[in-house]
Amino acid sequence: MPSTAKVQGEIPSLEDLIERHRDKPGGLLAILEAAQEAERLRYLSEDSLRHIARRMGIPLAELYSVATFYSFFNLKPQGLHTIVVCRGTACHTRGSRELLDAALSLLGIAEFREDEETSATTADGFASIRTVACFGQCALAPVVMIDGAIKSRMTVGKLASAIERLRKGGVA
Amino acid sequence: MNEPIVLTIDGREIAVPAGSGLLEACAAAGARVPTLCHLEGISSNASCGICVVEVEGARALVRACVTAAQAGMRVQTASERVMRARRAIVELLLANHPADCLLCVRNGSCELQAIAETLGPRKRRFSPTRPQGYADATSPGIVRDPAKCILCGRCVAVCRETQTVAAIHFAGRGARTRVASFMDRGLAESPCVQCGQCSVVCPTGAITERDDTQAVSAALADPSLFVVVQTAPAIRASLGEALGLEPGALVTGRMIAALRRLGFDRVFDTQFAADLTIMEEGSELLERLEHGGALPMITSCSPGWINFIETFYPALLPHLSSCKSPQQMFGAIAKTYYADKAGIAPESMRVVSIMPCTAKKGEAARLGMNSACTWWRDKGHTSPGYPDVDWALTTRELARMIRAAGIDMAALPEEDFDDPLGLSTGAATIFGTTGGVMEAALRTVCERLNGAPLPTLEFTPLRGVTGIKEALVAAGGRELQVAVAHTLGNARILLESIARGDSPYAFIEVMSCPGGCVGGGGQPFRQRETHRGDPGLEARKRALYREDERLGIRKSHENKAVAALYDEFLGTPLGTLSHKLLHTNYAPREGGSGS
Ligand code: SF4
Ligand code: SF4
Ligand code: SF4
Ligand code: FES
Repeated sequence: MPSTAKVQGEIPSLEDLIERHRDKPGGLLAILEAAQEAERLRYLSEDSLRHIARRMGIPLAELYSVATFYSFFNLKPQGLHTIVVCRGTACHTRGSRELLDAALSLLGIAEFREDEETSATTADGFASIRTVACFGQCALAPVVMIDGAIKSRMTVGKLASAIERLRKGGVA
Repeated sequence: MNEPIVLTIDGREIAVPAGSGLLEACAAAGARVPTLCHLEGISSNASCGICVVEVEGARALVRACVTAAQAGMRVQTASERVMRARRAIVELLLANHPADCLLCVRNGSCELQAIAETLGPRKRRFSPTRPQGYADATSPGIVRDPAKCILCGRCVAVCRETQTVAAIHFAGRGARTRVASFMDRGLAESPCVQCGQCSVVCPTGAITERDDTQAVSAALADPSLFVVVQTAPAIRASLGEALGLEPGALVTGRMIAALRRLGFDRVFDTQFAADLTIMEEGSELLERLEHGGALPMITSCSPGWINFIETFYPALLPHLSSCKSPQQMFGAIAKTYYADKAGIAPESMRVVSIMPCTAKKGEAARLGMNSACTWWRDKGHTSPGYPDVDWALTTRELARMIRAAGIDMAALPEEDFDDPLGLSTGAATIFGTTGGVMEAALRTVCERLNGAPLPTLEFTPLRGVTGIKEALVAAGGRELQVAVAHTLGNARILLESIARGDSPYAFIEVMSCPGGCVGGGGQPFRQRETHRGDPGLEARKRALYREDERLGIRKSHENKAVAALYDEFLGTPLGTLSHKLLHTNYAPREGGSGS
């Protein structure tokens, strides 16, 4: 059983938040968001979820239902950097599958089943790769977002140098 | 209010009571409207859309399952537009569904299959849109195969609303939507109590019991093994139904004959052990009433219920009777007393139980349910360990074995149980229905306390279908307040009151399933093409009360074979040997909402 003390230690404000939001509509989402932000690797750890479920009196499966419904919540540790590959139709026809494969192999992620997972993270926590259904930037396809910045008309070469820059501690 | 209303369905005027749903009205007009997600009394989330009908004046098609019948409504249940919509829904469901019917345990009882067959798409038009997921076989009782799930939500509703366990819920969104336990881990790591109600309500093969028929068949085919079978009270009132007879068909004699044809060496009755349970549990209650002990005392024969209190209310465990369930008492007695008497080596004996219940599988595998082995070892036996009960099959599994062996129930003679573990009383029969264990216990306990036979054996206030029933009975110059609950949601209400300290009862019976064992998680599925939640419960219950009246002896303490068991072997109820073989410890279990 995870210790409450540890979770509280990591998320000092979570207890307050739970107190403040527990009976408000949408309160649960605010609490989950805070719990995610408080984690260094920006995800909802199993410990946090168990803690919140116990404090709020919500069954675990139900809380899990909420946490997995919103793509905003991560159930796995996120890397330091985030690379989002658009898998919309326009990007797909302009080679986003190749971009995704290249990113995965450049980062050394062995397996990523697009149909089952929304994201994958390198073992060392350096970067996460995610896919989205569409960025709505189809005119600029293929589109990749690196650490929040949209990169248009991406190529495998451009992607490789961007990742290289991140490795050296720079900005993509 | 009660004025009937008149509406027109498929051109036919029909009067229905005000407040009726459109589904009822259609049914009354002879129109079968298919349903998938909707199940009366269980789930109504209007998510599947298969029940659409055309209502004059409404622009869109209307979902009959959530629409009230209104006076003057003009409804078409099978117009071209309706059929096109329904067919499209089925085709989309089939796109994500394996074409596995030939290999599927629900072949012939599957509601999706029935709907596909009647609506008749004959070609696959769409390719799969969602991942198949992985089967979960971690639970001793329940197997989930998400590939066959159509996301109807019935299991989620029954687990959450009826049972208040909430082990499973929808997870993810869009194409990744699935029914999952916390962190997508197996049921074994969830608070699931293995009650199996999800498997009863699932319209497809996505939730089933763990199938132990192969292991049992192999044991039956092994000449070096002596295989005995015990049948729970509720089986005689439901096996016929599982084999196509009308609900409530009472097939005691033919069931025994069928089990002999399958090759069991002895056909015994769990009811023998139910009478034994009453002797032990009744004495335990008297002991607690007279010498102190946690009150109310609560029955312990329903393993889903045991899992529930161990998971969610561990602090209240002292209230549980320490009695094992009849299934486990039977196993312990069969492999000690009977094996010894009949000169059978206990390690070559196999005990198979036929149960209305999926949780019985896990119960048989519980820690400490090997008292026979321990007893023989104390006597110097050395053999590898063995459990008291080797396999628990559900009613549905036995029905499959009988069908596979080509046994025609209708052509079988009526046969009798073997002696001595086949003898039982009417009190044991009614264990199979809610209120029955209480009534059986009162028949014995009141007579003990009053020192005279009871004027009447029927405790009518305990026989209804209300979720929680109570009665006040006079016994030994005092009034005993007792309560009976079925479904875990209702059990929770009584537990909350015990936890608050305001429970007025001395004795409580709890059954995990709606209606008690007659509605168990291993019982026959409802007839296809009906939206009714009740799978013949009432009829099964009435059958058990009929059997009770038919049996000459109706009080557990008058069971001669049980009396002989005490004389020859056990000594007295609650004696040393009883404690070793018939009682156990119930302990907190992980997996609850907080752990
Ligand atoms: S669940 Fe139903 S439709 Fe699916 S394979 Fe089994 S019988 Fe066929
Ligand atoms: S077996 Fe019972 S507790 Fe377990 S998931 Fe099914 S309904 Fe819920
Ligand atoms: S597992 Fe069965 S009952 Fe549950 S949602 Fe899927 S099809 Fe429906
Ligand atoms: S929407 Fe009515 S049965 Fe599913």
